[in-house]
This record gives sequence, structure tokens and C-alpha cells, in this order.
Amino acid sequence: MNTSTKRYLKSRFHDYYREAKIHVPHSLTKREWGFISYDSMPETMMYRHKAFGTGGELRDYLVSMQPAHVYHSVALYDYPDAPTMKEKKWKGADLIFDLDADHLQDAPTSYAAMLEMVKAESLRLLDFLVDDFGFDEDNIKAVFSGGRGYHFHITDPLIWELESSQRREIVDYVGGKGIKSEYFYQKEFMIGDHGTGTRTFNDRTEILSKYVIKNPDTGWGKRLAEYIASYLEEEGQKEEKERFADIKHIKGFGKKTQQQMNRISKDSKALEDIRRGRLDFGKIRDFKAIMARFFDNTIDQHRVTLAGSAQVDEPVTADIKRLIRLPGSLHGGSGMKVIPLSLEDMEDFKPLQDAVAFSDRPVTLKAIKPLEVQMMDLDIRVEEGVQELPEYAAVYLMCRGVAEYGSY
Amino acid sequence: MERAELALYPFTSAASQYVGELDFDLDRLINSRAFQSARLRGEERLIQSLTSGISKPSLTNTDEGRVLTELLSYPYARILVSCLNDPYLNRKYSHAEAEAAYSLLLEREDFFLREIGEEFGIHAKQHERGFHLHFADFLKYSTTLKAIEWKLINQRMVHGNVFVERKDFARLLQEAIKKNIHEGLPLKVPEKTCTDCSGALSRLKELLQQKKGDIENGQTGEVDSKLFPPCINYAINNVRTGVNLAHSMRFAMTSFLTGIGMTVDDIINMFNVSPDFDEEKTRYQIEHIAGSSGTKYTPPSCSTMKTYGNCHGTDDLCKRINHPLNYYRRKMWYKKKFKKPANTKEKKGTE
Ligand code: SF4
Repeated sequence: MNTSTKRYLKSRFHDYYREAKIHVPHSLTKREWGFISYDSMPETMMYRHKAFGTGGELRDYLVSMQPAHVYHSVALYDYPDAPTMKEKKWKGADLIFDLDADHLQDAPTSYAAMLEMVKAESLRLLDFLVDDFGFDEDNIKAVFSGGRGYHFHITDPLIWELESSQRREIVDYVGGKGIKSEYFYQKEFMIGDHGTGTRTFNDRTEILSKYVIKNPDTGWGKRLAEYIASYLEEEGQKEEKERFADIKHIKGFGKKTQQQMNRISKDSKALEDIRRGRLDFGKIRDFKAIMARFFDNTIDQHRVTLAGSAQVDEPVTADIKRLIRLPGSLHGGSGMKVIPLSLEDMEDFKPLQDAVAFSDRPVTLKAIKPLEVQMMDLDIRVEEGVQELPEYAAVYLMCRGVAEYGSY
Repeated sequence: MERAELALYPFTSAASQYVGELDFDLDRLINSRAFQSARLRGEERLIQSLTSGISKPSLTNTDEGRVLTELLSYPYARILVSCLNDPYLNRKYSHAEAEAAYSLLLEREDFFLREIGEEFGIHAKQHERGFHLHFADFLKYSTTLKAIEWKLINQRMVHGNVFVERKDFARLLQEAIKKNIHEGLPLKVPEKTCTDCSGALSRLKELLQQKKGDIENGQTGEVDSKLFPPCINYAINNVRTGVNLAHSMRFAMTSFLTGIGMTVDDIINMFNVSPDFDEEKTRYQIEHIAGSSGTKYTPPSCSTMKTYGNCHGTDDLCKRINHPLNYYRRKMWYKKKFKKPANTKEKKGTE
């Protein structure tokens, strides 16, 4: 990134910050701020330990400094501008979830497709946040990061004081980690249920018990019940020979089991029963193994992979001192807006259109390598060399470091 | 709470308020004849913490003298712990107080459990088979319980409320009590006060030394830290003094220690000698590598150690081995070979 490119980007950012809607976080005065400037690039140097008293001060700073990246602490401190963590005095922190394409398995390479995948992951996370954790929608702030993912800020004061290890439990919960299947289903004896108290019921002694899902009305138990019911329903639509392919090989999956499952798959009342937790598959020798498979599939379908959690290192959510991008600021690596989204908007949000901050006024630039960009519903082919592009695309390419401003 | 209850749950704010209102001075508790039985009971609390666990008397409000003794023995015990200020004792003592309270709580009514919960900011509600509480309150005290059934994911949670059975609720209270007592230690005690308690302190010190010795020789079994290779000792010393290890070194050290058969608790105890030591963080890191999930990792070889710059302070034996585990095994073998004749002699002598 050469000097004239830096100067150009800074002037564009300057104009943006004069008009932009900045979403000042709650408890502003207790937050630490950090900035990365274009001036130091290609080095990334973070200027930290800054604090602001009012939203106006913050805006003045952004307008006059035009930082490439703007972050505030998730934590609240007594002395946010103190130089060391110890002196800052930690008071609590919002709960943050960071979903990022870089951490997803088999993420597609096209930016648009990648963002689509992260969005699907985000919607799954929302499901946990609202249904399982019971967060009020007013306390959940979804934010498009301006880069390759989404952030969720949970501002509910009840969670402020949670420590790292406690936040890790939340990460494990949404990631389906450490689930113990025994806690999710159990044998229930039917004698008691029917009050006969006898072991020779209809001359059949073997059907004395059935399995039930313990909490089919909530959380992972509900997801499990729902998965099994829809799995059977879907298999029922297939040709008889093709059904149950992924559990057929399990030892103990015999003719009888297949018949029973066939029957259930066509019986909407029986499927309803499963959703209510009743697992009446008749006699299966290796029930455990089949359940284990159902469990794995349920987890695969619903788990949320959070940035950082794949490594041994701290998942972002557990890091109670980390900095996060300011909603309403610009992402200096893409020139796009970090946009807060209402939960309803989330589904229809089109990042490559809705997060674009700049105009389509033509700008001359020199691309270092050929590239394809999809923005504002256009497929823009960028050739190597000098050309004119709409401002938003020009800013994007310069921010990514694949083009320089001007024609030389 | 009634007075007898205050004496049995002396860590509650009601109890400390009551003691405060008695309005007597610290010096009398330490030196006056009148409080000798309270002091003896206080010392006993600590002895029991290190041995059998604290046993609680059964008290009624009419036993005024005994109630007062029991009640005042608690602050006295805390003064002694604070004078000694030993991390191991602090933990043991907090644990024992909490454990004793747990047994009492199991016998108590639901409303009483809830009342104790409120004491620690746990707002629980009752339902048919136990209690439910907000998951944040649950997490505050469940994460120190390492068993997998305590993981949040294995709970029944409905819109942020976690449902627990009565017994488990009492167990959470135990954790809350422990954490609370532990965080309050050490108290700021005037030096003069500690000097006045020197008799009790030296008795306790001796017992403590003995208990710690047992751990080093007994619990950790065959492990002998004098036989560790230089690289591992280097890492251990760093952790002890609160220096952060690079991930690769932390991995090498932990997989080595678990590889020779130490448990996570053994390892924590070995590290926990300095005030800079961050137990919670270390435990997380160790558990991750020790593989609470079931995978056990083998430690890296010397050449890998060298590649990552983790080979520190090689000695002569290092030249003849290619794996830190082999270093330890060799030394172990020397030690046995060297020791055996001595042992046989000893045996012969006693016969
Ligand atoms: S040579 Fe091997 S055992 Fe010796 S210090 Fe280096 S890594 Fe450790």
C-alpha cells in the first residue's frame, strides 16, 4: 500500500465518519479502545488503552484520525485507559460470539458463498441464544463484521461477571462438546406406567421397557427428538431398499427393527410421539449404537463453530479482555461497514450490497493482479493494470492490498 | 437464622454480622481465658480439615455456651489460616468447611437451601423435584466441578433456567461456600496477633508439613521430580513463578507429566507454590492437553523439542537419550539399581 493509496483511503474514511451512524456501546466510559492506522501499514500496530467520555469525543477522534480499524473492549473497566490489565480493574464483560469463515470446515472460496455459509451458522447460533439461553432479543446485537463473518454481542447484565472458564461452558454448549448421551435418554419401565405390576404381560416378557428422550421439550434433547423424527420421515419417502443406509450396518439392526422403523416413518402419530420423546423401536439389540449415530448426526447438524474454538487457544467468547470492532465503523481490510442487524433483518441481509459504504462514482486505480469481485449485485472482473472502477469496488481492492490508487 | 444456625453456618453474612454485634475485641478472643474452648475448637477445625474433615456438633439455642464456642471458633480458625497463609492449607480448609456445610444442608428444608443460595447471589426457585436457577448462577459454581455430568450441555435448560435436583443444588452451594471462603483468605491479621497464636501455629505447621510430605512421597507414587530432564524442570519453574509458557512447551511438559502417570491434581499441587500461580488457567490448559476427552498425547522427542527451542540446559545424560521420557526412565532405573541394596540391608537390620 503506497502513500497515495493511504492518503486516498484516509480521505474516504474521513468523509464516511463525518456522516456515519456510530453505534456507541453501552457503558461507553468504562471501555478501552484500540485503533490500527493506515499510516503504520504494512506493519499492524495497535494503539490501545484509550478511553472516551462521550459519543461526540469518539466521533471527533474517528473523523480526525481516520483509523483503518476501530475496536472497543468487550470488558468494562474502572480505569479503561490504564496501561496494564491489573490497573484497569475489570468489572465485567459482554458475552461475544465470533463467527468467521476462516474457522469453518470446507468453507467455499468465493467471498459471497463463504458469507452465506457463515450466515447459516449464525442463524443456528441465534436459535441457541434465544431458545436455550433465553436471552431477550433486545440483549442480542448481531453485527456483520465487515470482513468474513458475524459478531454477536450479548449485553444482558446477568452474564457480565462470568469468568473465562464459565464462558467456555457456553462455547461447549453451542458446539455440542462434552455431550453425554446417557443424560439424554433412558429406559422407562412400562409395567409401572400401566400399573399392572406383572412381568407376564400378554405372555410377552421382553417388552417391559421402552426408551424415552429425557428432555424432548428443550435444548439438545429437543434437537435430538426432532432429528430422529425428521430422519425417519425422510427415509420413509425413499425406496424401501435405500432406506436407513447409515444405520443399517449397525449390529442389531435386524429385519424387525427395519419393519418397525418403516412403520413409524409412515405414521404421523408415531412421529409425533418421537417428537414428544418416545422411542418405541421395538427390540433392538444395539440400541446404544444406533442412538450414538443419531446423536452424532444431530450434533453435526446443529453445532456452531466459533472462531478460535478449533485451536487449543482461547475461544474468542472465553476471552473476557478482548477487543471487538465498533458497529458502525469501517473494516479497514475491506472498506465495508461493520453493520448492526436486527434479528429479523439477519435472514435477508446481503453483506455485499447492504454493507457497502461508498458510492459508484468512477475512480482510477491500478490493480496488481486479476480478480473477480461481486458487489452491489454486479460481477466485476478486475484485470491487472490501470482501469476505472466504481468507488466502492476501488476502496475494497485497495483495502485488500491488491490495487493502488491512481494510474502510476 | 437462629443462633444455633449461625454457629453451624458461620460463613454467612448473618453470622458475621452477629459476631460483629457481640462487640468484643480481637485481643480477647486470642488471649482471654474465657475463649479458650473457642480457640481449641478453632484449632480443631484446621486439624480436621487436614485429616478427617470438619465434624459439626448438634446444637440447640439453649446451649448458649456451646453455641458461642462454635461460632467464635470460626473467626479464630480463619486467623490461624491467614497467619500460616499456605496455598495448600487455604484450599484444604475452604474445602473442608464447605464439605461439612454440605452434609448439614442435605438434611435441611428447601427454603433454607434457597436462603443459603441467596447469600451467594444464587436466585433459585423451587419446582417439584428440586430447584431451577439462571444458567449464569449455575455456571458460577458448576465449572469447578469437573465431572462431565456438570457440564452445562448435560443439564436440562429451559429458556436460560437450569433445573437441578435437590442434592445437586446442595452440591452447588458447597462450591459457592468454598469459593467464598477461599476468596476471603488470607485475612489481614496484625503481626502481633499471629505472634500471640504462635503455639497453635507451630503445632499446625508441623501437621501441615507432614501432610505435604505425604503428598510428595505418597500420592504421586513413584514420581520423583529430581529425576526430570532439564527441559521439563525449566518449564515447571517457569509455571511456578507465573511465567507464561509457549504452547509447544506447555504441551511438552504436560504430556510428559501425564505420561509418567501424574494426575491433573498432582500436577496442580506441584505447581501451586507461589502466589503468582493462576490455578484456574493452568488447570484448563492442563486438562485440555491431558485429554479429559479421552485422547492421551505422547510428549515430543528431543529433536522436536530442539526445533521449537524448548530444549533447555542439556546435561550429560541428554547426550545419550533421544526422548525426555527416556531420560526419566533411565534415571529411574539408576535410582532403583542404586537403592535396592540399601533397602535390602535395612530390611535385614530390622529382622
Ligand atoms: S536433550 Fe531432550 S531431555 Fe535433554 S533437555 Fe533437551 S529435550 Fe530435554
